[in-house]
Amino acid sequence: MRLHPFRLLEPESLPEALDALGRLDGEARVVSGGTAIVPMIRLGLVKPDRLISLHRLSALARIGLDGEALEVGATATLADLERSGLVRDGWPLLAEAVRRVATPAIRTSGTIGGNLAYAEAASDPAPALLCHDAEVRVAGPGGDRAVPIAAFFRGFYEAALEPGEIVTGVRVPPPPQGARAGYVKFTSRSAEDRPLVGVAALIVLDEAGRCREARIGLGGVAPTPIRAGLAETALEGEAMSDAAVRAAAETAAQEAQPLSDLMGSADYRREMIRVWLRRLLVKLRDGAA
Amino acid sequence: MNLAFTLNGRPCVTDAPDHWTVLDLLRDGLSLMGTKYGCGEGVCGTCTVLADGRPLRACLVLAAHVRGRDLVTVEGLESDGRLDQLQTAFAELGATQCGFCTPGMLLSAKALLAERPAPTAGEVREALSGNLCRCTGYTKIIEAVLAAAPGAR
Repeated sequence: MRLHPFRLLEPESLPEALDALGRLDGEARVVSGGTAIVPMIRLGLVKPDRLISLHRLSALARIGLDGEALEVGATATLADLERSGLVRDGWPLLAEAVRRVATPAIRTSGTIGGNLAYAEAASDPAPALLCHDAEVRVAGPGGDRAVPIAAFFRGFYEAALEPGEIVTGVRVPPPPQGARAGYVKFTSRSAEDRPLVGVAALIVLDEAGRCREARIGLGGVAPTPIRAGLAETALEGEAMSDAAVRAAAETAAQEAQPLSDLMGSADYRREMIRVWLRRLLVKLRDGAA
Repeated sequence: MNLAFTLNGRPCVTDAPDHWTVLDLLRDGLSLMGTKYGCGEGVCGTCTVLADGRPLRACLVLAAHVRGRDLVTVEGLESDGRLDQLQTAFAELGATQCGFCTPGMLLSAKALLAERPAPTAGEVREALSGNLCRCTGYTKIIEAVLAAAPGAR
């Protein structure tokens, strides 16, 4: 089955891409790796007259440092991220989450910018990026701006992108000194599926083993990826006892707003938050830094 | 639009409509029928080909996006009429039944073995996690990949 026909534009520079998107407002969609937009076109969910490909903007594929922060260009593929020594050494939580996206062949073409712009609730990288307080870099007719990731996910499959804007990258601050972090993904059907519940957590303990700082990102449990702010507050200052961990997981289950779908019901999702957040926090508490 | 890339070790210069995927190009443009159309949504894995050594879903990738890249399809695995080590292992160990998933299985496995010459069974399972087989139950496929691993010989 062929895709609904479209004309493909292949700009050589970002200004050229923005210009094309501005001129074709409403008629054109942006394509990066294509792992999201191509199935959408095939299923008839969108029928753009034009696609604007970012594949020639090689500067957007960069993975590097900006001061202390990791700077990832929008068209860097998930496969490049999971193999990057810089990411694995300095941002292991992100590397771990990216490695859990779908299958190797999807990660070959799927890009971090595409993953963010698609704004899927059940994203694997998003909870990790939320824990890092990442900033999404956006370019558009009004210039460049940086959007805190917690504000970038505006609604169900809805990113905080204005007409004519393109995601150009993401800036990821380093984890705090001594942080312990991990990502666990629970799927109810098969391993490569989207997460029913994805849990990223980053904690910093003091000398006495009390929780000095906690950051918890959740995927698949609300219309967008979310930070579990109430659970974080419940944990901070606590001794990370089994009871405290259990209470924090219960708080996260309550503050989530899960939907029911073919993968599982809302109640089941809440239960899986309790289980997987508790297990992850216990593992981080007991593990080495 | 014009396209130039490397296909199974040889330069390929052709053209294709803008909206064609790599799979449309291979099957309908170049009459290479080894790469199969399964789900069309990137889920089943039978359209998997290699681009610069990495597995790629031919049904999801626009033909324009493989310009200048090095593509390998199942037709490119044999050399001088002799089957590749993986193909031989699949045949000898009975890792194929109806055969529809086999091209994708072979290429996903090829990419794994290039990166990890002596993989564990777990790594093989992970590498093949995006390739569905409705006949074999996977056991013999995994055995065949392990048998063909250069590091295992």
